[in-house]
Amino acid sequence: MNSNRNTVLQTDCPAACASPEARDIGLFVGPSAGKGLDLLPVRRVLLPMERARRRFGGLLAGALALLLVSCAPAPPQAARAVPRRVVSLAPSLTEVVYGLGEGDRLVGVCAQCDYPEAARRLPKVGGYLSPSVEAVLGVRPDLVLVVPSPGNRESVRALERAGIRVLVAADRTLDDLWAGIAAVADALGVPERGEAMTSKVRGKLQAVRARVEGLPPRRVLLVVGHRPLIVAGGGTLQDELLRTAGGVNVAADAGTAFPEVPLELVVARAPDVILDAAMGSEAGGRELFAAFETIPAVRQNRIVTLAPDALFRAGPRVGEAAAMLASAIHPEAGGS
Amino acid sequence: MPAAHLTRRRLAATSALLAAALTASLAAATLIGPVRASLWTALGPGGEHTPDFAILFRTRLPRVLLGAVVGGALACSGASLQALLGNPLADPHLLGVSAGAAVAGAIALMAGADPVSPIVPLAAFLGALGTVAAVFLVARAAGRTSPYAILLVGVVCNALGAAAIMLVNAIASYTQAQGILFWIMGSLSAQSYGLVAVAGLYALAGAAVLVRHAHHLNLLAAGEEDALTLGVEVEAVRRAVFLASSLLVGAAVAVSGMISFVGLIVPHLLRLILGPDLRLLLPASFLGGAVLLVWADTLARTAFAPSELPVGVVTALLGGPFFLVLLRRALRRSAP
Amino acid sequence: MSILVAEQVCFGYGARAVLDGVDLAVRSGEIVGLIGPNGAGKSTLVRALAGIVRPGAGVVRLDGRPLAEWTRTERARRIALVPQDPRVEFPYTVLEVALMGRAPHLSALALPRGRDLDIVRGVLERLEVADLEARRIDELSGGERQRVFLARALAQQPAALLLDEPTTHLDLRHQTGLHDVARQRCRQDGLGVLSVLHDLNLAAAYCDRLVLLAGGRVVCAGPPADVLDPVTLERAFGTRVWVGRHAITAAPVVLPLPAGE
Repeated sequence: MNSNRNTVLQTDCPAACASPEARDIGLFVGPSAGKGLDLLPVRRVLLPMERARRRFGGLLAGALALLLVSCAPAPPQAARAVPRRVVSLAPSLTEVVYGLGEGDRLVGVCAQCDYPEAARRLPKVGGYLSPSVEAVLGVRPDLVLVVPSPGNRESVRALERAGIRVLVAADRTLDDLWAGIAAVADALGVPERGEAMTSKVRGKLQAVRARVEGLPPRRVLLVVGHRPLIVAGGGTLQDELLRTAGGVNVAADAGTAFPEVPLELVVARAPDVILDAAMGSEAGGRELFAAFETIPAVRQNRIVTLAPDALFRAGPRVGEAAAMLASAIHPEAGGS
Repeated sequence: MPAAHLTRRRLAATSALLAAALTASLAAATLIGPVRASLWTALGPGGEHTPDFAILFRTRLPRVLLGAVVGGALACSGASLQALLGNPLADPHLLGVSAGAAVAGAIALMAGADPVSPIVPLAAFLGALGTVAAVFLVARAAGRTSPYAILLVGVVCNALGAAAIMLVNAIASYTQAQGILFWIMGSLSAQSYGLVAVAGLYALAGAAVLVRHAHHLNLLAAGEEDALTLGVEVEAVRRAVFLASSLLVGAAVAVSGMISFVGLIVPHLLRLILGPDLRLLLPASFLGGAVLLVWADTLARTAFAPSELPVGVVTALLGGPFFLVLLRRALRRSAP
Repeated sequence: MSILVAEQVCFGYGARAVLDGVDLAVRSGEIVGLIGPNGAGKSTLVRALAGIVRPGAGVVRLDGRPLAEWTRTERARRIALVPQDPRVEFPYTVLEVALMGRAPHLSALALPRGRDLDIVRGVLERLEVADLEARRIDELSGGERQRVFLARALAQQPAALLLDEPTTHLDLRHQTGLHDVARQRCRQDGLGVLSVLHDLNLAAAYCDRLVLLAGGRVVCAGPPADVLDPVTLERAFGTRVWVGRHAITAAPVVLPLPAGE
């Protein structure tokens, strides 16, 4: 199988594809995904832990991958027929599919897929973190879209073994998002719509940047859980959106993506704005910080409650999410 | 090497020493943290409005005090349970009360209560009460409070509780699951002095009940019949000790989640140093448990600054190997 | 004068009757021996006398009043029990265990005073375990442990002392030694002693009176010479014995007769 793959790459693509990296990559998704080859035409799931190690190789792989996408024509074998029955196991990927205008090809979605409205009426095949392999197989898909997480690794493997084509799209960063949109669009046979979507979302993000351009960045804390107090750290999609929206994440150095932090850190870092995207009540969020009037966000009553959905989905609505953040962080810059 | 018997002087001296250690630990732990805060500034003119004051006296001190209260409650409860069950390796969480409290707390969170609202610890405490009642009723089916029955029913309750928590976890959304994780891993991040005061009074009341029966528990060491002939109303004492220590554990879990090993290690270690006389061991365990948890929490707060670990993780990581060493010693000692 | 009396005591587990109308008295200044085959109900009788189990029928009286009318602490000041095979889970020292005997005389939160220590140390001395004072109870031999538990019982300063097969782990010297102490207390302080014994000769040597229990009933009671009669013993124990006379003390001597002699 390996040699077949290489032959395919070599006949389909110029010199770049003949490199060892290209051989290694196999099929990919996103700069944050990693390498791996399979016996079946499947994309490999990458664990978040490996991502850091693979980052450099990943970036290179990603660049080569984008090259492959652009230079690989339809595969010689029938295995690359355009899928008619698609299952999406992540809310963000569901939104991408609808955004590409291919929502009618969806035959099953995860329980948390609730946008757009039409998605709610589709059959549910399990949770976002714990999909049901049986339910997925029951709707007879020819393509399954997944976001990598430790919880669904086994399910993905089971689907692969059953011969189903699985596309894994990482969702950690904006670059992952562009690669994911491109991969899904390509898999569905509508690459040009994928590019259009990417441009549109990029445009929205650029508009937000323009809106806050020239304004001094505000110190922001994005709270994700009240107790324990969990915040968005550096290196996440949320962090990128915050920066786009003219904010500086005061917890960017905290090490992991969503670290638990002590309250004293919030007092010490003194954010200007606290964004509360946690489950629980608005009152709870205010009460949590109420005693600390040395924090500017508390003193000036700038604790803004946000709905978590748009903020935590690496999907087409990140533009809207960035705009929402910008309104919260820089309300004086006007809304859009 | 413990002396031949417990004298007034030894009781007073050991208690004073431990109380001094606790006071010193409280002071030190308040001054230690991932963030720099100056006591001088906080106590200076206009100090109440400085971030230093907020950090020291509104985040750290209440947390350190809560750690002392919870640590004391767990250790004191553990010491009395080890005597009640005649087993030096018993842990207060064995009773199943903690699992009941954790499940009730998790359900309250799922039902939408904010993690910082007082409803959650209240619900958890009611869960603890319910579990105590259930264990009590079932274990007393034979008309007497048999330690064997208490242990068995407790183990079953624990298993049920663990399963229920996993069920809740499976149904919960990703962010809700974080809150539920708190119950399983433990956290001292409650910040209000009010909560600390209530928990403290409760813990002292519970400890007082246990100390009242300390010598009865000593007399129980040779067995139920011997205790009866020495004048102990065994049934009444077992009931009182079981209820008091269960409620102590329940209250501890309600405010701070499941913190493991403190209730096992502290009494065991102190027994090796001070001897098994509970008139000394119970108050010593309270003070010793307080010191241990204060330092464990300090480590949890500073080891991976600026983010923090749940304190239950620290106690388990340190307590686990320590417990293995103790176990090995115990096994070697009992070998012929 | 009777301190502790069992009157027509019956006790059973379900349908099985362990004690069936037993009368027994522990009198001041007297050692009474309780003998009988295994399963006769001796331990159960001792526990009923100590107030650990309640008779199904009949009554146990302490100083004339039924046991149920006394609080446990009051009972513990009058009755002490040395158990058959004491085990202690935790590493208490010998002194701590012996001091537990003072508990009925102290309030729950009080620590022992000088007088208590003197009493206890005196008893430990008399039982030849005083030098083990600081040793852990679980480090002692069976015989040493049994003496410590006797010390605990004597520390209670009881009026009635119940010994449940006290000589099981004791060597010859300590078997007699223990009963010497008991007899001394008996004669000097008016202690009433009940001793459950398998060794009929020890019983004959020390007891003023014997009670033979078989099948939950008192088969025979009276001075050793009367009770230790070959016919009675054969019927009760189901084996043939030879009864003679001790050359020096003139007490009965009982020896088993192997089959065929």
